[in-house]
This record gives sequence, C-alpha cells and structure tokens, in this order.
Amino acid sequence: MLAIYRQLLRLYPPAYRQQFADEMLAVFLDIRADIAKKRFFAQTVCVVREILGLIGGACGEHLRCFLGPDSGFPLRGRSFVMRNGFRFPNTTAVLMVLILCGVAVAIKKGEEIAMSLPHVNPGVEPIHLVHSALLPPVVLLLIVFYAAGLVGWTILFALRRSGVHRLAQLSGEQK
Amino acid sequence: MALYDMSRTAMTSDLPLTEPVLLILLSLAGQPQHGYSILKDVERMSNGRVVLSTGTLYGAIRRLLDDDWIERFDEEDASRGRQAYRLTQQGRRNLQLEIDRMKHITRLASLRVALKER
Repeated sequence: MLAIYRQLLRLYPPAYRQQFADEMLAVFLDIRADIAKKRFFAQTVCVVREILGLIGGACGEHLRCFLGPDSGFPLRGRSFVMRNGFRFPNTTAVLMVLILCGVAVAIKKGEEIAMSLPHVNPGVEPIHLVHSALLPPVVLLLIVFYAAGLVGWTILFALRRSGVHRLAQLSGEQK
Repeated sequence: MALYDMSRTAMTSDLPLTEPVLLILLSLAGQPQHGYSILKDVERMSNGRVVLSTGTLYGAIRRLLDDDWIERFDEEDASRGRQAYRLTQQGRRNLQLEIDRMKHITRLASLRVALKER
C-alpha cells in the first residue's frame, strides 16, 4: 500500500510534492499503524478514502496551477451564500458549448450517412459539401452570440462597479 | 437591535466556511498541531462523521497557508515529516467571524421556530 501511496503522490505538481509529500507520507504511516488493529472492512474503507483523496487532491492542485490560486480546494461552502446578481452566465456558456457540440456531431453523423449511401444520381453532389457550407456560419453565429453576451455582461458589471444603481436608489428615496 | 453585525462579514469573502475547513481551524484554535493530530481531532469533534483523507487535509492546509490563515510552527522535538501548524491572527479573526455568523443563524432559527410553535 505504501508503494501505491508513493506512486499516487507523484500525481501532484512537483512544487506541491516538494512542500508536502514527506508530511503526507508521515501522516499516512500513522494512519496505517492506526487502522492495522481495525477490521478488514474499516481498513478497505480507509484505503479507498486515501486513494480517492489523493486523486482528487492531485486534480485540484493541477486545476489550481491551470486556473489560478482561487481554484482548487475551496474554503468557502455553498450553503447560505448571498449571490451577487452580476455574475458571468456560466450555465448559458456551458449550454451553448453543448449545443455547438450537438450540432457538430449531428453534421458528422449526417456526413457519414451520406457517404454510405450509393450515389446513383451522378448529378447530385455528396452531402459532405453541405457540411462545409453549414458549419462556419453556425460557429460564426455562436461566436457573435458569445461576444454580444460578453459585451453586455461587461457593461452591466462596469455599471454595477460605478455605483450608478445606488444613485438611482437615492433619487428614488428622495422623491 | 441588530442580532448580528452583517457589515463585519464584508471583511472576508471566504465565509461561510466548508465543514472540513471549519473543523481544521477549530482544531488549531487551541494549540499548534501536526497533520495526524488534526485528522484525529476533526474526527473526534464531528463524532466520526467527518473523516478527512491526507489528500483533502493537505489540500486545505495548502490553501490556508496561501491565504495566510495558518502558518508553520517549528516544534523543538519535531521529527521529519511532522510539521505543526497554528492559526495566524487573520485566521483567528476569520474563525471568530464564522462563529459569530453561525451564532446569529442558530439564534435566528431558534426565535423563528419558537414563534411558529406558539
């Protein structure tokens, strides 16, 4: 198990390993000594927890290296959080990407079906030409939507930061 | 009279804390501890409900060190791999804010439930 643990530690980024690997190994040795007296089931649960913890932790650390210091292990919980109304529309962005993927897959499937069909009529062009004609406008349309959404969100965010909405509230109260 | 000074929460954007982080900070609130002691203390405080893996524990420790909520504490008899940690002033202040926030919520909940039962 110790060998597996050492191998899993290698999944972490080098800087993290240099800082914490010895400590983590020492703690794991303590845990191993502790669970040696326990039943087989408890030992298995502990081992699985450690493996999943290491894999999850390594993914979190790589994510942090990739996305920045605020990602990775969260300090803040999700419960009872008052959310700011001006946030980037993550859900919409994910949905749009999914739709784009769906369109691309559908076009690919259509192309495959078209290629498999016998072309008895020599005057008709194969369908894959339609693919090349259809995909760029769809991608362009999505890019335009993204850009428009981003510009709109930036304007709203800038207005929010400037405090214009507070002036509007003040003038409403004065009336 | 306000039950809770909401403006104080503006001091940190990291509240409310996740349960593992809260328990780790509580574990360090009394005295400096090293990794294994923190794990056992968290398990004991939560009556065995929260059992951290080393991966989760050191993910939290790394983040808390980066955010200057905890710091390394050099013990005289520390062996290799047994690094102790303790709360910083900022960590203690944030822990107190979280405790105040939870007190406010429990007090409010008790009042509301009592009103409903009448």
